[in-house]
Amino acid sequence: MGKLKKLLLLVASLALAALAQEDSTKVEDIAFSKVYLGIEGGEVYPFGDLIDATYNTMYGGLNFRYSYWKNVDGVVMFHYAYFKPRPDVVPYDGVHQASGKLGLDWRFPAIHPIVLGGGFACNWTRADLDDDIVKDEIYDEPGGTLGDNETEFGWFARLNVVLWNFEKFRMGFNFMWEEIWTLPKRSDMLYAGIYVERKLW
Amino acid sequence: MKYRSLTLPFLLASGIAVAQVPAEMEGMEYETRADGTFLIGGPTFVFDRVMGAGGVHSESELWTPAKLRDRLLFNRWSGTPSWTPLEPGVWLKTGNELGDLIYQDFITEENRPENRTPILEGGFRSPTYKGLWATARLFQDDHFCSGAYAYRRDMVNGNYTHLGANWAMFSSAYGGLGYTNSLVNASVLAGEEYLWTYTATSRWIPSHYKPRVEARADIKDLSMTVAYEDIEFENLHEKEEGSRKEVNGSVYYKCGKACEKGVFKVAAGLAFRAVDDEGTVYTELEEDRVAWPFMELRVQPVGRLTADVTFGVNERDWLVQDSIQFVAPAPENMGVVVGVKNISGSRLNPLADTKEFYDGREIDLTADGQMNLIQAYASYVDTLGGFVSIGGRGSLWAEHGAETFDVEEIRYREKYDLTTRYGDVDRIEDWIKGVTAELWLNTWYRDMFKFTAMAGFEHIEGPVDNAEVTPAEFYTGFMGDWLLNKTFKISHSIRYRSDAKWNLRSKNPMVVKGDWTWDASFSQMFPKYGISLTGTLMHVLADEVMETVNGGYDRIRFICQAKKTF
Repeated sequence: MGKLKKLLLLVASLALAALAQEDSTKVEDIAFSKVYLGIEGGEVYPFGDLIDATYNTMYGGLNFRYSYWKNVDGVVMFHYAYFKPRPDVVPYDGVHQASGKLGLDWRFPAIHPIVLGGGFACNWTRADLDDDIVKDEIYDEPGGTLGDNETEFGWFARLNVVLWNFEKFRMGFNFMWEEIWTLPKRSDMLYAGIYVERKLW
Repeated sequence: MKYRSLTLPFLLASGIAVAQVPAEMEGMEYETRADGTFLIGGPTFVFDRVMGAGGVHSESELWTPAKLRDRLLFNRWSGTPSWTPLEPGVWLKTGNELGDLIYQDFITEENRPENRTPILEGGFRSPTYKGLWATARLFQDDHFCSGAYAYRRDMVNGNYTHLGANWAMFSSAYGGLGYTNSLVNASVLAGEEYLWTYTATSRWIPSHYKPRVEARADIKDLSMTVAYEDIEFENLHEKEEGSRKEVNGSVYYKCGKACEKGVFKVAAGLAFRAVDDEGTVYTELEEDRVAWPFMELRVQPVGRLTADVTFGVNERDWLVQDSIQFVAPAPENMGVVVGVKNISGSRLNPLADTKEFYDGREIDLTADGQMNLIQAYASYVDTLGGFVSIGGRGSLWAEHGAETFDVEEIRYREKYDLTTRYGDVDRIEDWIKGVTAELWLNTWYRDMFKFTAMAGFEHIEGPVDNAEVTPAEFYTGFMGDWLLNKTFKISHSIRYRSDAKWNLRSKNPMVVKGDWTWDASFSQMFPKYGISLTGTLMHVLADEVMETVNGGYDRIRFICQAKKTF
């Protein structure tokens, strides 16, 4: 076999190996190959009609991020907030809200510190009732439906700006727009927070 | 020849694709189907009629051996609530009809929308250890619970569910053990269940199963099922209480591997129920028992010709369902099937109760005489270039003696906005005839993309307005499924059904307007870890309407599920 043929064969087999590698480094290998756990806290601002419904409030919680595809990460977030109603007629002090979010983040290869993401949101709420209040008796008052557990879904979009990377740690801002599919109108809120996350593996 | 005998009938059968958008509960697959009239009253009641099936009955009214492990809810076979153990894994499901108020409630004083209600499920089934496994599941569907809500709420004590206060149409919890090896698959489950069944008078009857125990065993080709149900009834409107202890089940011998090779294929079985009623109950089974022996025969004298007969008979009823099907010679990549189907019998569902009681009046749920449905059909499929197939199906059908309801009186209760009726089950002693034509197109690219477009039209002649439902004349549907990177699945179904009409359950017929509906499902899978996360939007675009008299509103809803398989 001539040298040229050998060389061609080598190139071809390398190319094949590269292709095979390309094949084998698919999702199975990328998914969950990197996992990060973070804490986040910040403020929530109601928008639109909701400005008349609740005050701004603080929120905090856990974030979980994992590699999914090349340049795409999966995100799961759990945040807690306590919302105080603006109208005085609401017969309780506030509402507990637990929010779960599941979505994807897209890392721009070009503008590195900026990550865009979005996904589904699910918010669970329950009014903080005093012991002497019977939920059925307040049902028809403003806010009465929250006397029982209420859950509603929606979507979110987020802008994640990485400020600082150090070894296994990362810090940044998270701005999130959330729309919950409520009636008679949709409920919009803006979350602005700061997070610190640590790479688990 | 092999190709023709195996692949084409499969293509013909699968030509009318069912959407891959997952149903909110197993057994509710009708809610994503395009190819017929599917009017949902709630998770425990539906009028489901596939256009190509012919006749004026709903599929769930008809007994067949395939439904031996479905639940008998009044006179219908229901896949919901299913007590079939799920595959090994752990799963969580939740969802909601969109449109709760949440913080809008603080500022909405007038025209507050009705409360929207969820769906909840959690369960597991362990991996097997020396063949043994354990399972437990809690599942309830609060969607559609607006159906006769106030009337139902005032009828029972407490919340009548395992969780929440929405008077869900069903709420089930069970746990149990099983054993699986290469010959045997057996399980025993026990649990508690709250259930509302919709009856001939258009009422919802509450049943509290306390407990329900079901044992199943599949040993080679033999399947056995037996359930014990201790059911409590209550009606606070009339200060009534009653109970029913019921044993039901079946033994079924299926045609095994050796039998499949022969010209004659035989399967046979026995389904049975026995009840013991006390106090005030709302239905009656004549003589408190029913036994239903049945047999299935398949004769395939030559590869192209198949004749099937299923028949059952007992001292009260008989039912025959048969068909002859011929795979016609056709060019390669094309398939043509012609066939004749017949259903005759004294009752569509010979295992159902025979009387209903309402307000001291008696409703006879059986009718004298018999029904006959005969249908001739032809279908074809043509595959072009390995990525497109087109198909069609046409049929002519005629039915005499169709089961219906002879309405004596319709009563409206303003307080509860509840319409109920009195009368007896009856027959339409006349011929109703129909002609159907359906077309579909499938295209696909490997396992990454699949698209189906389909349309169907049916014209019915005769006194169809004497039947419970005048089905839709026209449907169209478009389904698309994408599988990205083998791990991200997107499924869509957008479809239209023309007007359908309930003729006999209200003073004026209730027209369910034709409408477009869109369902979409997004599923992220991690095959290496056996994890899947699925979010599904259902009934988008469509008006939120009531599709059955006293039924719940069919609303936009979102359902999400997380599952880890072992």
